[in-house]
Amino acid sequence: MSRFDRRLVYHFDWTIFSLALGLAAVGVVSVLSVTWGNTRHALDPLVVRQLTWIAVGVVLMITVGLFDYRSLSAWAYVFYALTVILLGIVAVAGHSTGGSQRWINLGVFKLEPSEIAKLAVVLVMVHYLREEPPRGGWNLRHILIPGVLLAVPAVLVLKQPDLGTALILVLITATLIYAGGINWRAGAVLLLAAMLAAPAAWHYLKPYQRERLVSFLNPESDPLGSGYHIIQSEIAIGSGGAWGKGLFKGTQARLNFLPEQTTDFIFAVFTEEFGFAGSMLLLSLYVALIVRGTWIARHARDRFGALLALGVTGIVFWQVAINIGMATGMLPVVGITLPLVSYGGSSLIAMMTAMGVLISINTRRHLF
Amino acid sequence: MKTPAEARRLRIGALTAAVGGLFLLAATRLLILVLVDGPRLVAMAHNEHRGQIALAAVRGSIVDRNGLPLALSSGTESVYARSRLLLAATTAAQRRQIAATLSIDADELEVRLHRSPFVWLARHLRPEQVAGLKLDGIRGLGTVAENQRFYPEGSLAAAVVGKAGVDGQGLSGIELEYDRWVRGAPLLLEFYHDALGHPILNSPVELRSAEPGARLELTIDTAIQSAAEEYLTAELEESGARRASAVVLDPFSGEVLAMADVNADKTDDADRLHNAAVQDAFEPGSTIKGLLGAIALDDHVITPSRQLFCENGAWFFDGRTIHDDSPHGWLNLGDIIEVSSNIGAAKIALALGAPRFYAGLAGFGLGRRTGIDLPGESPGLMRPAASWRPLDLANHGFGQGIAVTPIQLAVAYGAIANGGALIRPYVVKAAYDADDHRLFENHPQVVGRAVTLQTAHLMNHLLRNVVDAPDGTGRLAQVADFTVAGKTGTAQMVNPTTGTYYQNRLVASFVGFVPADDPRLVILVVLYDVQHGHFGGLFAAPVFSKIAANALEHLDVTPEHPRYATAGILPFAPADDGPADGSDPPTVTATDSSSGAAAPRPQGPQRVPSFVGLSLRSAMALARTYHLNLAARGTGYVTAQEPPPGMMTDAPVRVILSTRTGDTDAPDRFDERLAASR
Repeated sequence: MSRFDRRLVYHFDWTIFSLALGLAAVGVVSVLSVTWGNTRHALDPLVVRQLTWIAVGVVLMITVGLFDYRSLSAWAYVFYALTVILLGIVAVAGHSTGGSQRWINLGVFKLEPSEIAKLAVVLVMVHYLREEPPRGGWNLRHILIPGVLLAVPAVLVLKQPDLGTALILVLITATLIYAGGINWRAGAVLLLAAMLAAPAAWHYLKPYQRERLVSFLNPESDPLGSGYHIIQSEIAIGSGGAWGKGLFKGTQARLNFLPEQTTDFIFAVFTEEFGFAGSMLLLSLYVALIVRGTWIARHARDRFGALLALGVTGIVFWQVAINIGMATGMLPVVGITLPLVSYGGSSLIAMMTAMGVLISINTRRHLF
Repeated sequence: MKTPAEARRLRIGALTAAVGGLFLLAATRLLILVLVDGPRLVAMAHNEHRGQIALAAVRGSIVDRNGLPLALSSGTESVYARSRLLLAATTAAQRRQIAATLSIDADELEVRLHRSPFVWLARHLRPEQVAGLKLDGIRGLGTVAENQRFYPEGSLAAAVVGKAGVDGQGLSGIELEYDRWVRGAPLLLEFYHDALGHPILNSPVELRSAEPGARLELTIDTAIQSAAEEYLTAELEESGARRASAVVLDPFSGEVLAMADVNADKTDDADRLHNAAVQDAFEPGSTIKGLLGAIALDDHVITPSRQLFCENGAWFFDGRTIHDDSPHGWLNLGDIIEVSSNIGAAKIALALGAPRFYAGLAGFGLGRRTGIDLPGESPGLMRPAASWRPLDLANHGFGQGIAVTPIQLAVAYGAIANGGALIRPYVVKAAYDADDHRLFENHPQVVGRAVTLQTAHLMNHLLRNVVDAPDGTGRLAQVADFTVAGKTGTAQMVNPTTGTYYQNRLVASFVGFVPADDPRLVILVVLYDVQHGHFGGLFAAPVFSKIAANALEHLDVTPEHPRYATAGILPFAPADDGPADGSDPPTVTATDSSSGAAAPRPQGPQRVPSFVGLSLRSAMALARTYHLNLAARGTGYVTAQEPPPGMMTDAPVRVILSTRTGDTDAPDRFDERLAASR
């Protein structure tokens, strides 16, 4: 890469780029709406910070998009090790908010290493699984190492506690192992083991986590307690109607009935103001992004690129599925942000970078 | 055989398909939330973030029949600021000026504006004060009207008007009874509040604007009312009574011209909260004899000429001795009423029998509410006839063991005065909105017939003797230039704790009407807790006289016994009120008297009053006041009229006068009945 290749510009993946920006715009509008009128400044500090991170994220996305993703393979373990160290620091000296110790306070910026961990796990898994499996797929012993690679960060994240991100790590790993080609018997055994492990895992959950897991089935049984989040989210979404209440007119979000408005429940904020139509638009953006991501995965020139594209897309997919499932009352409340939309620097920048990886994979398709 | 890459692509494709499926699932779920659960969730959202506040409208005024205000609402105004708007719209210097105008501290204002989104700047200012401040047009400043009730005439008619609370709600009297009219419609504001319940102060939406309350016009005439209160108060001091009530009623319409309630141990609040004239029952004593006589005549149990032996002042009956104040031998009904013989009354009651006496009293409206438009009316107390023992019956004959409210007794005597009709009394004439449109009007309402016309007239004459005859008990009720018909009453007060009579605490009363020939006013005076003396006539009758004289003069009622000869200016010969003499009844046509001081006759049709039961002279007088022409046939009393009451006409009203008076000396069944009752 001594000389800049002009083809990088011709073949730059503007689809991913515009979808990422479109989603970021939805996020800005939602955060703006929640904070509108809170201060006498035109823009709330929250919005300003969100815009700043998007700017940083876009620069990173383009930069990463122009680099050759294949060089990432060499850095996989370094990146992974750094992430585990950061998670370790969080566990020892992390910054807490709302009972969870998830951040490293850097003064100007609070870093959330679990957001980076998703990328690190994807990268290390793809690196490890870059060779074709033997005929018939991997056996259990083949995936022992990936299991360990997953377990270390997952346990650290779980300890924060951040059930949602831990779950995402497991789901992405599972996706990659499936796509990479696992023996169907080994897959069945893993699935069975997961089902058997569920009751045991239940045992280790915190009481509030258990309550949330159960209460989503009947949130009305405790409307002001464990069912509050789901009920308020459903009220915001349902009261928005077909076309929504209009920009800055979402009562539930703006009057603070809706909890976690800028992060976990930002979907409800947007849907309240822009209605079913708005939610369909948002969902379509995600579907377009995911379909484009898997398309890139299918058309990638090499196995590493294909799995990497799938892994990155998988992060988006699983987070969207769980977040929207949670906001619409189909899944229990676990703290998961809406990628590219939710407020949060680490999450935004990490996801923007991930989009850069997708762009890079698609662009390089034409170069070799 | 697929290549590994192909297999991988297939697996990735499968994942993509799964994404599509999940997308459909999410879309379906969202549709369900919006379409199926939508209405419920919208309602939940509303319940969560919307609140309503109602700001009371300006309460309507209450005025007497001549427009004199008895209750007013002073519109005070309070000035508030919406901090954010005001800060944005004004400079610091301007705010300093506003502070100076409102005489508040400028620095403190600045602090408060920065601390709270809503700031009261000044409260309860007079509207002209606020107008003088020239605050209009400054964004962020607002005024809100706050209501304050006051009673310009002080305690005048306090018990009737009643009281409104601090939040502008009626608590007693007319303020309570007509609250929904006087209150108006409040300003209804809807506002949003956040999850912590803090109202969002620039959110209010005016759901409904305020509508000022209606103006109520009373039947009360302040002049008569204040005279009545004044005389009662004076009599309290004179007689040592603790409380006194007076009712002045128009016997034909049921309009209450005055309803006074004075208390020696007065507390302002009690005056406004309690109205003894409709809420308290007392034993009527001898005043019931007028009703008893009318019932007995109506029932033909007695004739006016029938003589009863009054046992020379003491009659041992059913284990108890009934006393008269002075001994009497043989008396007829008129004498019994005139001298107020208890023994005579007891014998009449016994002759009537419990069921008939009870039915008769019920016909006069005793034992049930008159339906007057005031709250908390007492129905009085009349036990069922079946439970009356002979001694009870005898005692009820002179007003013991029965309790009536002042308004009941006044209405009952009103029936005698107006020719036998039981009318519903009322104190509110009409209500008007802010544009002076009449919202409603109370009309005279006949509830039933107490006695026949003939009986009423006969009793009217018998009651005159109480006042006029040399040994009448009500002589002090006389009014110069007018004939008064009425009855005194004295009863022992019942000790509410023991249920027995106080020995020396009395209720003295006088009820009557004037002018007897053409009754304009029924007046009842009750003095409670008179501690010395004995005769109701001694205390209550003079007050009656004073109130009557004052009211008659105020109402400009033509004296019945003119000091000057008026024959020359009257357009017709005065008709004889007495029974017909048997000669051919002359047909008299009366025309509107243009010689009197009456106001110029209004054009167009007039409402026809009821003439039935009136003497010709009374009917003529009534026709004059209604600006109607009268065509009369016959002598005696009006028995029929055309058109009927309530119609509008500008043609002469034809009235038929009857020669029958009902007073025939046909044999009665008194002895037979009295014997049967023993």
